[in-house]
Amino acid sequence: MIWRGVRFLLHEMCLMKITASDIDDLALGAVFLATGGGGDPYLPTLIAKETLAQTGGVTLIDAQSLDDDAFVVPVGGVGAPTVSLELLPSVDEASKVLDRYEELVGRPISAVASFEIGGGNSLMPLMAAAVRGLPVVDGDGMGRAFPEAQMMSYAIAGVKPTPALAMDYAGNTAVFDTSDTTTYEHHIRAFAAAAGGMITVAEHPMSGAQIKASVIPSTVSFSLKLGRLLREQRGPIDDVMPALRSLFAESVYGSVHKIFAGKVSSKSTRTVGGYDVGDLSIEDFDNSQCVCSITIKNEYLVATVDDRPLAMVPDLIVIVDTETSTPINAERLHYGQRVAVLAVGAPLFYQRPDALAATEPRCFGIDLEYESLDALVNHQP
Amino acid sequence: MRIGLDVGGTHTDAVLMDGSQVIARVKATTTEDVASGIEAALAAVLEGQSPASIDLLTIGTTQFTNAVVERKQLSRVAAVRVCLPAGRGLMPRADWPEDLAEATDGGSYMIHGGHLYDGRALSDIQEAELTELTQTLYDTRPASVVVSCAFSPTQPEQEDKLVARLAEALPGVRICASHLMGGLGLIERENASILNASLLDFADRVANALVGSSKKLGLNCPVYVSQNDGTLIDLERVRQFPALTFASGPTNSIRGAWALTGLADAIVIDVGGTTSDIGALKNGFPRQSNLVIDVGGARTNFRMPDVIAIGLGGGSLIGRDGRSCGPQSVARELRQKALCFGGKVMTLTDVAVSQGRLTILGASESKPVASEVCEAVDSLIVEKLAAAVDLMKPGGAVLPVILVGGGAPLIPGDTLAGCPLVRPDNADVANAIGASIAQVSGEAEDMRIAGGDSREVVIERLTAMASEKALAAGADSATINIVNVEEVDIPYMATDTSRIRVSVVGDLAGREVLAS
Repeated sequence: MIWRGVRFLLHEMCLMKITASDIDDLALGAVFLATGGGGDPYLPTLIAKETLAQTGGVTLIDAQSLDDDAFVVPVGGVGAPTVSLELLPSVDEASKVLDRYEELVGRPISAVASFEIGGGNSLMPLMAAAVRGLPVVDGDGMGRAFPEAQMMSYAIAGVKPTPALAMDYAGNTAVFDTSDTTTYEHHIRAFAAAAGGMITVAEHPMSGAQIKASVIPSTVSFSLKLGRLLREQRGPIDDVMPALRSLFAESVYGSVHKIFAGKVSSKSTRTVGGYDVGDLSIEDFDNSQCVCSITIKNEYLVATVDDRPLAMVPDLIVIVDTETSTPINAERLHYGQRVAVLAVGAPLFYQRPDALAATEPRCFGIDLEYESLDALVNHQP
Repeated sequence: MRIGLDVGGTHTDAVLMDGSQVIARVKATTTEDVASGIEAALAAVLEGQSPASIDLLTIGTTQFTNAVVERKQLSRVAAVRVCLPAGRGLMPRADWPEDLAEATDGGSYMIHGGHLYDGRALSDIQEAELTELTQTLYDTRPASVVVSCAFSPTQPEQEDKLVARLAEALPGVRICASHLMGGLGLIERENASILNASLLDFADRVANALVGSSKKLGLNCPVYVSQNDGTLIDLERVRQFPALTFASGPTNSIRGAWALTGLADAIVIDVGGTTSDIGALKNGFPRQSNLVIDVGGARTNFRMPDVIAIGLGGGSLIGRDGRSCGPQSVARELRQKALCFGGKVMTLTDVAVSQGRLTILGASESKPVASEVCEAVDSLIVEKLAAAVDLMKPGGAVLPVILVGGGAPLIPGDTLAGCPLVRPDNADVANAIGASIAQVSGEAEDMRIAGGDSREVVIERLTAMASEKALAAGADSATINIVNVEEVDIPYMATDTSRIRVSVVGDLAGREVLAS
């Protein structure tokens, strides 16, 4: 039990050590926060465990404890997770990108940060920082998963994506210096497709002051706590809800609500322009006329019943198994599954007008005025 | 006439079939040595028949699955992964259970090579590296070597070349190409190949024993074994790919349900002693799972039937007042512990006996359970099974539900989840009947990239490749049919990319091919 004491102490100092034995829980929490997207966590989990076992772990730091002139670089993967099934990621890939990035900008990196806490990209910065002996900022640029770079809090807060450096599996690199984030997004995707389908990228370099103003704080440690709760309390969702409510009450997120429960009655998705787009219907257990529809674009975006919205992006919509409370990816959902739909209020940052303007339903081509989860839950008939 | 044999953990079942007619049937006990149980079952169905009248013996067996689960009979395999400079720092067998990794460990290696998703080289083969590897393998002498190159399912040439080179340099060592063992997913395919290679020596012993047993009973017919997809492979192929039989248990029950009813699209419930397996028939074949399959703790991409098991069978324990049923079970001790045999434990069998659905010879009580309790249990198991059937039904369709297995009479009623229940004759030997279906298959898959060949062209090419494989397995070319075309879109790519897989099936060709 000495270990617990040490960890508690580290936490008190705004420092926390993440080791290989934390990765399963962290990845489970990340599947929850991925709101349906993020891909299969198996390979990222396997390789993160291997890296942290070899390096002894990584230190998590609070963004607010950074100096204002610190140099923070987010790192992550861009491309098709499916390609990684054959083109396996390397243990040192993410750290090499940092090495090359430092050569490019001629400045040592003080801390590494995450693009998104949802899915495999939540683990990449941990690996890079572990190999380099650097700390990782406890937080990310989305608080969930989003499909595009301009939806990141860093971009919304005015941080430029460039100079960005992308590296393929063989160590070939490309440097990007683009006029705006949309052009950047377009070019980086083209490089990913040309370079084997999956690349590792360092982008959105920031000062300590910038990341303090733009990071969604504490999401890494929160994901770990969330995953641990889901593992330890594994059981029917109604039994797990009270613990989830207290956990979210102490987080950067809004409150968590169970907004629907039923049986998956249909799911149709297809690939359009590099995204998984489609709809999901869930029938109420007791009343098959009552159907919850969920719009998918990689992630779960909007949940409605009879055209009455229950929750919408950027608030988080999460689907869990009713019996085990395990979160289910969009790609793993199928007819007949008994599920509960949960909704979580987006972190405060995403309630800002400029953040909503970049992430509200209209940004995904859905003709709906954003209404906050709190308002929707309170106005239920 | 032909004989279908199913070797399970508890029972060895056999049926003698003439066309679709069951001539003789037997449920025998699986023996420790397996062979004597097989011989006893064969002798029982052959009683009064001339062995010369049998022209095919087909066998479903769980021996290879059990060998992996129990870590017995496994030999040492060297794993050579060809993917550098990708995948640095992650070795083969990285996340296997320690005992399984140890039992199969013949060394793990990584070298440069492999392909990318668009067909280009991932990296060139480096001669010096290959020479050093060959020398190491020569010195360490593993029983077999598995070679797995990145993207080998779509670009098999390099893997085949490496296999040929190693085979030449290492006489007496079996060299296996991973692309013969599965589709995309390097780690899963490699794991499947290592498990398969570790069973090769055992497969020789099993195949020899099967030939021995059939000879002993005077049978002079070809012997086939049923594989995961419900079709047959000959003993030569079993010697090369024993792992292809891992799922033959549930597969044969589902195929048997098809043979017994002629229903090509249906839900199948196989009710056993401890669990009920619920699967689905699609075009007369088990619907296959898209999930990764865990075999003995290793993650694999074997194509296995999509089956869910729930803890409901003849030995399931009934809670007080019938408020619960299973998953605890008296299992094999039913005849010692159940109320109807004079025991003290209330089981689902006792409920079925009390409700008059089941008559058991030698039962000591005719109505061991009060009727209110029976009613409560019946509605409970109907609710459980209906939920499972719902999960297996594709898109809410109404499909017949076929009940098979020794425990089929335990299930009450004539509908489940709004679907009609079908109770065929000989349902208790459905697995052996499933094993006796004489069909063989072939499969091929590839990635389709937007701007490349059209979908139709790709499917046509894959169909030709799959048909060739079916022909090689002994199919009559006139009977070859596509049974499944599966397309999986790959998200996040700028250009639309999808993975297409085609499966074909044909009837086993006539006697002259069988005799060769």
